[in-house]
Amino acid sequence: MARLSDDAQWIVMMGFVVSFSFFFLAMILNQSTVVGQTSAESVLDFPKNDIRDVRSVIIQSTSLVPVNITAAHGLILQNDIETISLMRKNAIVTYSVEWPAPPVTETFVNIHYNNGVTAYNETWQSL
Amino acid sequence: MVNDRGQLYTIEGIAASMIMLFTTFLVLNATTVYTPGDSHISDMQLEQIGTDSLRMMNMQENGSAGTNPLIAGTSPLQDMVDNLPVVNGAIAPAPDAFDPTNAFNVTFTNYVDNKTGSETDNLHYTASVTYYDIANKTTGSLLLSANRNLSGVEHPVRVTEWVIAYRPVPGDVTLTEPRVVLVEVLLWRD
Repeated sequence: MARLSDDAQWIVMMGFVVSFSFFFLAMILNQSTVVGQTSAESVLDFPKNDIRDVRSVIIQSTSLVPVNITAAHGLILQNDIETISLMRKNAIVTYSVEWPAPPVTETFVNIHYNNGVTAYNETWQSL
Repeated sequence: MVNDRGQLYTIEGIAASMIMLFTTFLVLNATTVYTPGDSHISDMQLEQIGTDSLRMMNMQENGSAGTNPLIAGTSPLQDMVDNLPVVNGAIAPAPDAFDPTNAFNVTFTNYVDNKTGSETDNLHYTASVTYYDIANKTTGSLLLSANRNLSGVEHPVRVTEWVIAYRPVPGDVTLTEPRVVLVEVLLWRD
């Protein structure tokens, strides 16, 4: 074994500094392989389209009453929406309609959506 | 015999071994294996384009009266559900489901396969209509259109769109008034 010499301490230290800086860069590069994964998962998990769709069809079916269908048939549509949501989309959807009663001229729809992770509640008011 | 010579070499040796171990760890860790669980990014894109396409199809055409006698202006998607054949008083699976000229197939593939450049995309799908059967208190599905059969090895995403249909569904108690059905599309790329 060679005799201990302290001649090249700066060279050794700079070697360490340079190698550790490479490792730091490598760690950053390592993280880049999972970029987009977390955000894509969040987008998939959040039922944005489900809520927009069910809200849209609830308002659409409510607006059919009473000109095109009777209030009684509106309940059949409501049953369709609530049952299919539960059976096919694993979401509890309920809503209730407050029809215009003078002097109030607007229709109010209380919409509730819950798929176990995300809950959404809205009171929609017609013009 | 113990002495304190060679300390710098010892430290250098330890540092070098740590560097080598850490390098091995980084190299092995950086290997990307694309498993089905990692496909969220392309799933998200498929789900988005599928949902957007269905929503476009469920928009009332501007100024069109539509085929529904109850309401002025039905959407193309409503018309496609309404145009399903009526068997025993209720809508039945489309006989032309695998026909490329099927109205749903033409519009949907036009929307989802559209991309920049001269070549179109080649997505596969199976579309069905889910309804609530009042008489049997259950939900059922009817094939609406498809351009490929699901064999079980695909990794599809599901996109849906609510539609108010003006045809009686199986188990219906009224034959003249609309029902709410769910158009479900399984969409995948291979």
